[in-house]
Amino acid sequence: MELKSAEAVLSMLRGKQKIVLLGDSGCAQLCEVGGILQLEDMQEFLEQNEKEVIDTIFIEGGICNGDVLRNELAAHKDFLEKADVLLIQACGVAVQVLTELIPEKESFPATDSKSLGFLETRHVHHERCVTCGDCILHLTGGICPYARCAKGILNGPCGGAMNGRCERDENTDCAWQLIYDRLKMLGKLDNIRRIWDMRDWSAVSRPLFVSQHVLKSEVDKIG
Amino acid sequence: MVETHLSRLLNSSEFVVTAEVTPPHGSDKEQLLSKLAILKDFCDAVNVTDNVRGIPSLSSMACCHLLIDSGVEPIMQLSSRDRNRIAFESEIYGASALGVKNIIFVTGDHSLLGSHPHAKMVYDFDSIQALQIATHLMGGHDLAGAPLDGVPDLYLGSTFNPNADPMEMHAWRVEKKIEAGAQFFQTQAIYDVGRFKEFMRLIDKRTKVLAGIIPLRGPAMAEFMTRNIPGILIPDDIIKRLEKAGEGLEESERQKAVKSEGLQIAIETIREIRKMNGVNGIHIMGVGWEECVPLLVEDAGLYPRPGRE
Repeated sequence: MELKSAEAVLSMLRGKQKIVLLGDSGCAQLCEVGGILQLEDMQEFLEQNEKEVIDTIFIEGGICNGDVLRNELAAHKDFLEKADVLLIQACGVAVQVLTELIPEKESFPATDSKSLGFLETRHVHHERCVTCGDCILHLTGGICPYARCAKGILNGPCGGAMNGRCERDENTDCAWQLIYDRLKMLGKLDNIRRIWDMRDWSAVSRPLFVSQHVLKSEVDKIG
Repeated sequence: MVETHLSRLLNSSEFVVTAEVTPPHGSDKEQLLSKLAILKDFCDAVNVTDNVRGIPSLSSMACCHLLIDSGVEPIMQLSSRDRNRIAFESEIYGASALGVKNIIFVTGDHSLLGSHPHAKMVYDFDSIQALQIATHLMGGHDLAGAPLDGVPDLYLGSTFNPNADPMEMHAWRVEKKIEAGAQFFQTQAIYDVGRFKEFMRLIDKRTKVLAGIIPLRGPAMAEFMTRNIPGILIPDDIIKRLEKAGEGLEESERQKAVKSEGLQIAIETIREIRKMNGVNGIHIMGVGWEECVPLLVEDAGLYPRPGRE
């Protein structure tokens, strides 16, 4: 994820004066969008633009951890009540968690979240998973064709890949070249010589269904 | 399995010629028909492309219908980029109802390379799975197992690119496509016949192959294509030949000279391909230069074309 542009943030906050910032020491800090430094920078930037940052909440761990978050929100209750808006310097999950826990306030995203990935080093983020719900990494040499092929095809490579590069842009590896090379090394090319059937997308129909064990406990309660 | 003019010729000893028209970027059917008029007597069937590079064009199904009305046998291209399986099944019923019998299945270019980069791509399935769907429908049931009101009877084809990597994997994909129901193939443009031969040696299963020909209009076009069009590889010596043909000439003379050199290169390629085993014909893609089709077909000694039964 990355922070939205200064213009986008100001445009989003038009008409909002009192702001509470939220960040965390987990993904938000690692991606350098909602660590202590970015929260300070945001406060300074907003104050220069005649906004009031009335509070900053920094969650140890992730905003997605409901138990920790609830305690922190209780401790900052007074400021939260006065806020016109909460500006969340974390992912789309965090924004939605805060919307659900504090429905009387609006929570706005300070970032654009694009993918789940591997943080190779600070600032360098590689997309690796698109949460497809049907993991086949054991068959594709640990390289995901959904997440890493620009067309997400299962019987790749397409005819546009040349010299190991994707047809979309030459900075992207052809995922199927990577899969081929790795399976060749492992002596497992048979995994991709057969036709892979069309996949079933119903398992990840969004929004996801409530998980089975929760459903079961609900059923038990009724029973 | 249905018989079409194309399938009959591919199963005969004839060296088959197919060509391609690019549908208009709008609803002007006269434009399509005037392009068609230039090339229709010089080939056995005509491809209609499906929103190439994600640039919206007159629908391939509608164009195929117009071709049939003009007495031309169409080959409809269907890409998996823009349709999920619901739209895709529906499209096959529609094409079949309109009398389209030859369908070529392609994965489709990435839409970031075209004029509508903001679009959401679909890719519910790939070209191999598309062939599986079509083969399944021809068995009389849809993907849910419901019996069909009228069963499509089609001659299924696909494409392959001998220039693409890894070569072994692409050869396997050809075999997967044959297994999924492809009866014939058209290839990406061939400029390196040596590589094409090497590729063909990797294919064990028997099939019908039409080798792709795109005549080059000059060194600038060649440079552009090899750099920007996915899957096209033009060897340096061909680009140098085109440059040399135009050296020291005034602009209009230069254009004429490089164009004629481009045609000459294409004719040499056709002659070499004609000698290969396992290749049943050529597929000429004018890419907006429909006039090249009669020129190439006549000069390569492939005119007149056999009559229809």
